Amino acid sequence: MTRLGTAVLVGATMAAIVAPFFLKPYGIFLISTWAVLTIAAIGLNLTLGYAGQISLAQGAFVGIGAYTVALLTPLGVPFFLAFLAAGLLCFAVGWGLGYPALRVQHHYLAFVTLAFTTLVFLVLRNEQWLTNGIYGITGTPRPSILGWSTSGARDFYFFCLGILAPLSLATWWMLRSPWGRAFVALRENPLRALSLGLDTRRYTLMAFAIGSSLGGLSGALYAPLVQFIEPNSFALGLSFNLLLMVIVGGAGNFFGPFVGALVAVLLPEWLRITQGYYLILYAAAIMVMMAFCPSGLLGLAERAIKSLNGRRAGATAAVRAEGAGP
Amino acid sequence: MTAVLQVSNLRKAFGGVVAVDGVSFEVHPGEILGIIGPNGSGKSTLFNCVLGQLQPSAGEIRIDGQVTTGARPCDLNRLGVSRTFQLLQVFPQLSVHDNLILAGQEHQGTMSSRLFGRTDAGLGDAAAQMIEFFRLSHLAEEQAGSLSYGQQKLLDAAMAFMAGPRLVLLDEPAGGVNLTMLGNLRERLQAYHAERKATFVVIEHQMEFVMALCTRVLVLAEGRLIAEGAPDEIRRNPIVIEAYLGH
Amino acid sequence: MASFIQLLVSGLATGAIYALIAVGFTLLWQTSQTINFAQGEFVMLPAFFVLAAMNAGAPFWLACLIGIALSIVILGVLFKLIIVDPMLKYGVLPLVISTIALSLFLKESAKDFYSSQAQPFPTLVPATDIHIFDAVISTQSLAVLAVAILTVVALNILLTKTRLGRQMQATAQNPTLARILGIPVQRMVLYTFLLNAVLVAIASILVSPIYLAKFTNGETLGMAAFIAAIIGGFNQVRGAILGGLILGVLDNLSAAYISSQYRGAFPLIILIAVILLRPQGLLGRVEERTV
Repeated sequence: MTRLGTAVLVGATMAAIVAPFFLKPYGIFLISTWAVLTIAAIGLNLTLGYAGQISLAQGAFVGIGAYTVALLTPLGVPFFLAFLAAGLLCFAVGWGLGYPALRVQHHYLAFVTLAFTTLVFLVLRNEQWLTNGIYGITGTPRPSILGWSTSGARDFYFFCLGILAPLSLATWWMLRSPWGRAFVALRENPLRALSLGLDTRRYTLMAFAIGSSLGGLSGALYAPLVQFIEPNSFALGLSFNLLLMVIVGGAGNFFGPFVGALVAVLLPEWLRITQGYYLILYAAAIMVMMAFCPSGLLGLAERAIKSLNGRRAGATAAVRAEGAGP
Repeated sequence: MTAVLQVSNLRKAFGGVVAVDGVSFEVHPGEILGIIGPNGSGKSTLFNCVLGQLQPSAGEIRIDGQVTTGARPCDLNRLGVSRTFQLLQVFPQLSVHDNLILAGQEHQGTMSSRLFGRTDAGLGDAAAQMIEFFRLSHLAEEQAGSLSYGQQKLLDAAMAFMAGPRLVLLDEPAGGVNLTMLGNLRERLQAYHAERKATFVVIEHQMEFVMALCTRVLVLAEGRLIAEGAPDEIRRNPIVIEAYLGH
Repeated sequence: MASFIQLLVSGLATGAIYALIAVGFTLLWQTSQTINFAQGEFVMLPAFFVLAAMNAGAPFWLACLIGIALSIVILGVLFKLIIVDPMLKYGVLPLVISTIALSLFLKESAKDFYSSQAQPFPTLVPATDIHIFDAVISTQSLAVLAVAILTVVALNILLTKTRLGRQMQATAQNPTLARILGIPVQRMVLYTFLLNAVLVAIASILVSPIYLAKFTNGETLGMAAFIAAIIGGFNQVRGAILGGLILGVLDNLSAAYISSQYRGAFPLIILIAVILLRPQGLLGRVEERTV
């Protein structure tokens, strides 16, 4: 990473750690939401940005994760186990959905996930005996880790950070491994990748399943964060929101989800002055962005930095090119 | 000795148009077989059927005696078949080095070993050797997209060779390459062929390239095999001349 | 038996509407690789154009024409020029995402600039019932069926019997070849967009009396279009028609015989079943991978 990049990263990490001491409870709630949604966005980024598939079900997976935890923890199941269960369940469901849908060439996964989100919503709403239907589930307890209670706003925020960090590191490590290279190949030129022995179907499926399980893990944190979950929270709107987060941040960029989630969480606050027209503005902004800069905000930043560097390095590169080459 | 590649009565039709009409041939180990023919003769379709990119309408394809008709390209690659592309298909955002690692990594271990193993899948040395062989060492860390056309062609070939294939299918390797680079490319291909005893099948339009490189030549016209033999014979064959002039 | 016939007729009527929407969707995909996620909203919107025209004093028939005209301009020309054309160089993925954003944009626009309440929409014919073999069938269903069938027939004649239509078909099946044959491909693609705009406008006028003009209509109608197109075989216009009709009938029958709470689930289950069992759809061919 460049020196500028490292500096920004260090600065941002410090800001993330220090922020809750300067914010009121609502502010801490916002950054906790950011941390939790970033996890879901990282998952969706794997599916969309790295494997090039559109999933409109990430919100549903967050919902499945949330309900899993909300239903298991009151039964006495330790949070850690419920958390794992949420992730594993969503991995399995993702695999089950993706396996048939990815056999076909077109963007069938987009439609299948769209249908799946609606189905999940219907089940959550109708099966009152299980999910309490539209009345939702309240009061999901925040866990205690070795005596440290996370009930307080600040404590829970650090707990979320404590989960976001290792998950991000694990994702980063996966992307540094040959799998990461395979994902790039898959996205850039699947035909060429196939001819090199790369099982594109398997890698895509894996990306989607892992991405979905990250959605589930995000949901597992979401339930104790907001402490009231109901089917509408996980309908198509959330899936759209997560999709837009990944796009705005920069799909296929490791830090894209972090930026995108921040924008998504803060934007409604900033646009409150527009009195609810913010969705229209948001959607319009996405369309404009897709036309001029499909690689999102981070892509824009990269281009800006490159053009700044370019003017300096242009001369050097020209000299180099003259003397090089067979 | 079993043929490396055996194509029997291959037929491929797109709706009403028959692109390949009952073509049969064998490729023997160590050969460099050239396939030529005027435009629209079905060469590319034939290639794509052999490589699993298209499903044949009829006929059979065998690699080393094993039936591979309709197999997926990635499975064929793991059987030791690889290809280069007519239109450049390197990965522009990856470095030359990474392109080569990518080209070989799927042959190393299993999916999980690739996740938990080394970043370069243990191919660092092999990639360096390949870069040396194709004289691209000074460009190893450059983004593949910034290379010249000729250099990318060399990289394309290098990627095809990375996994040590027994059979390489080259799709118009000389296309769009200048004379100097062409000589370079041909020389490297021949060197690889001699060193590794690989078998090549080459589709090409440029006669000089084919005549200089290939040990045997097939001629296709309108989806059918019309002639077969040593390069010199083919050059003088009246049927072949007719087929080309007729277009 | 009587109620079955009723359900069948009303199912065919709904199915015919789905067919119109699905055909437009399929045509867009065929000619320009555009997966229009906003297709549902495209059907939701023209009804509001018509209502706005009526509010301005136009009689219903004129308002419908105005609605169709506005649809052609906005959902046809503007959609192509402003959204699709700039995106195409980036590939299919950014375009799909743009249309997803567009669907949100149109939905919120309808809600904010017209109304968030469901609006009643005039029917084509006065709503009365006629009796055929003990079955009570509404004239509305018959009118919808008649208009939809007429549109499909007209579409078929356009595509197969006119020179323009055959050129459009050629462009859809093989743009490179079409260009070589001298067909103005870009213009044909534009015509496809215009055609889609007309189809969705007609569908909108047919469906809004039943569903009422609501900004949320796009979700269900869009989903129906996608499912119909997939059932029929993504790449086939005839498949889209067949898929739409099957979907309409099955949807109606299921509503009567399955719990109403899961009413919306049936088409979704059909979709998942098709993807699992026969992904190329009923009329589709197994797709080739090309170089």
